Amino acid sequence: MTQLHPAADYRRKVLIVEDEAINRLMLGNIVSRDYEVLYAQNGQEGLDIMKENASGLSLVLLDLLMPVLDGFSVLKIMHEDERLRQIPTVVLTSEGDAEVDSIRLGAMDFIKKPYNNPEVILARIQRIIELFEDRKLIRNVEYDQTGLLTREFFLEYMRQMDEREKADRDLIAVRIENFSLVNEIYGREEGDHILATLADSLRHFLTVHPGIAGHEDAGRFYLYCTHLEDPNELQMIAEELKKLEEIPRVRLRFGIYPVTEQEDADLENRLNSAVFACDSLQESASENIALYDHKVHEEQVLAERLISDMDRALEEKEFLVFLQPKFNVENDKPLIAGAEALVRWKHHDLGMVSPGTFIPLFEKNGLVHPLDLYMLEECARIVSGWWKEYGTKIPVSINLSRIDFYDADLKKKLDDVLAKYGLEKPDIHLEVTESAYTDDNLIVERIREMQEAGYVIEMDDFGAGFSSLNMLSSMPIDYLKLDLKFARTVDTDEKQYHVVECIADFSRYLNVSIIAEGVENREQYEALKKAGCAYVQGYYLDRPLNEEDFLKYIRKEEEEC
Amino acid sequence: MLSIETLRQYGADVEEGLTRCFQNEQFYLRLVKMILEEPNFAALKSKLEEKDLKGAFEAAHGLKGVCANLALTPLCKPVNEITELLRAETEMDYAPLLEQILNGKEELRKLIEE
Repeated sequence: MTQLHPAADYRRKVLIVEDEAINRLMLGNIVSRDYEVLYAQNGQEGLDIMKENASGLSLVLLDLLMPVLDGFSVLKIMHEDERLRQIPTVVLTSEGDAEVDSIRLGAMDFIKKPYNNPEVILARIQRIIELFEDRKLIRNVEYDQTGLLTREFFLEYMRQMDEREKADRDLIAVRIENFSLVNEIYGREEGDHILATLADSLRHFLTVHPGIAGHEDAGRFYLYCTHLEDPNELQMIAEELKKLEEIPRVRLRFGIYPVTEQEDADLENRLNSAVFACDSLQESASENIALYDHKVHEEQVLAERLISDMDRALEEKEFLVFLQPKFNVENDKPLIAGAEALVRWKHHDLGMVSPGTFIPLFEKNGLVHPLDLYMLEECARIVSGWWKEYGTKIPVSINLSRIDFYDADLKKKLDDVLAKYGLEKPDIHLEVTESAYTDDNLIVERIREMQEAGYVIEMDDFGAGFSSLNMLSSMPIDYLKLDLKFARTVDTDEKQYHVVECIADFSRYLNVSIIAEGVENREQYEALKKAGCAYVQGYYLDRPLNEEDFLKYIRKEEEEC
Repeated sequence: MLSIETLRQYGADVEEGLTRCFQNEQFYLRLVKMILEEPNFAALKSKLEEKDLKGAFEAAHGLKGVCANLALTPLCKPVNEITELLRAETEMDYAPLLEQILNGKEELRKLIEE
């Protein structure tokens, strides 16, 4: 006899529910050759055992005429119970007419009394268990924990819908904004609750706009449904979620890729396009629905192009370092004190690409990490060149991204590059954005390790997010770079001026120096200086310079030395 | 003493019965002996006396399955007959059929207890 799935070398459990002792033992003797057998003498006893072992039972063999609770009643109760319904049941019968009723109530097959050849009985039991286990296996792959289709099956059913009938439909990507954060703040259980609620509300939506719904990863869902005349109909899904009182700020974003009868893009591409439209919505944007239109299409094409050109650009050194001079303004005359390294992409085909275009893109998919390391190496080369050529050097700060800190070898990589170019740790300052500090304790610990090893740490964009003065006292920081917004209003808004003054006072006490960036005119410059900022950078003093143009400062340093 | 041979002489289809027991003679004989404790003989008798045809049917039906599984052919015939009559709730004198059944059981008792 062939074996059931080899993965299961344990003995599956079969329950025999039969009131006649002789029949029970005879059947038990047959079944126990291949299975572990449990016995019940009537329907009630059978149900009790099923409830105790529901997920562990592979099959129930059920007699129909029994005292206390008969087989029909057992089938009915099983049928109405979510868990018991999952157990395949074979009815033991000698009554031809009862078979139809049993089938209606969910029985899978019959074993007739008197019993047939035992081998036949065992073969039938095996076949039914196999069928059920395969079905369960397929269901598990087809649907995920939310009860929605998995990506693969969503794509397959999309294909089938198109094949059956060409029509105008919408493919919609749905994303829960910052879902990982929701999980972190409210806990996994609450996160799962949100996913289940959203799945329900998508199912409800499909009763109005027939179609299918799928779930990919944590916060990402899909719909493929009849075309929406008004995309704002999607707001009913968001409304449902607003009922979750305990989590006040769950926001949904939708990206719609309209599929016409003439559609020829393949399924994966369509799905990616809907996702791209969804992700093109900025976090701060008030609207939450994006249509995949010509503009989004152009953006997507550019994004894909930039991502695929990244490796080549690194090899061909298409990324250029620009240096934004940083001045010490504590004396009458501003003195060059360092530079912030800014990246520019001189694309071989597209020309200059703005960092505003490619940095957010690379931050999303992690490509920013190799770019940051590239910048580190380039800056080390430049600073070391100054030293060799002019016998002078000033520190250059490079920007590190969140993802860099998840590289356990980051410190070693930094050390190696500095060693390779014969530099000291304070020669390359590390800029870390304020939000990275508030994201993850691991990041803070890694920054602390760097600082303790001798690196100079600059906290970037201070005041843009949720940081507080209090946190400054416990965080590893050497320099504080004020967010651009301070420089913009410090000369016109008295309150803002006092805020800067207060930050500067407090920082002085902590031995942390303040750097103001984005200084564009004399008024701003004077106000920041007066408020106590020791360092300033911005167009008012100088613009970002390429390597060659920056040499004017190095030569000047050389002369003064 | 009950043996495969005496059962065969009694008229049982022992080959069929043994097949259902994976040819395990001991096990088969043990099950046959259990028929003496089968409560449906007494239930059939009392339900018929009470003219409870539905109750009598349930008892007969239970016996039918057991006798058929044990391949006790001499018992099967009258048990099947009475089951079908009771299923149809036929109003008749069931005494002769009942006697046949109880005699068949008695015969078995002798085989077992001798």
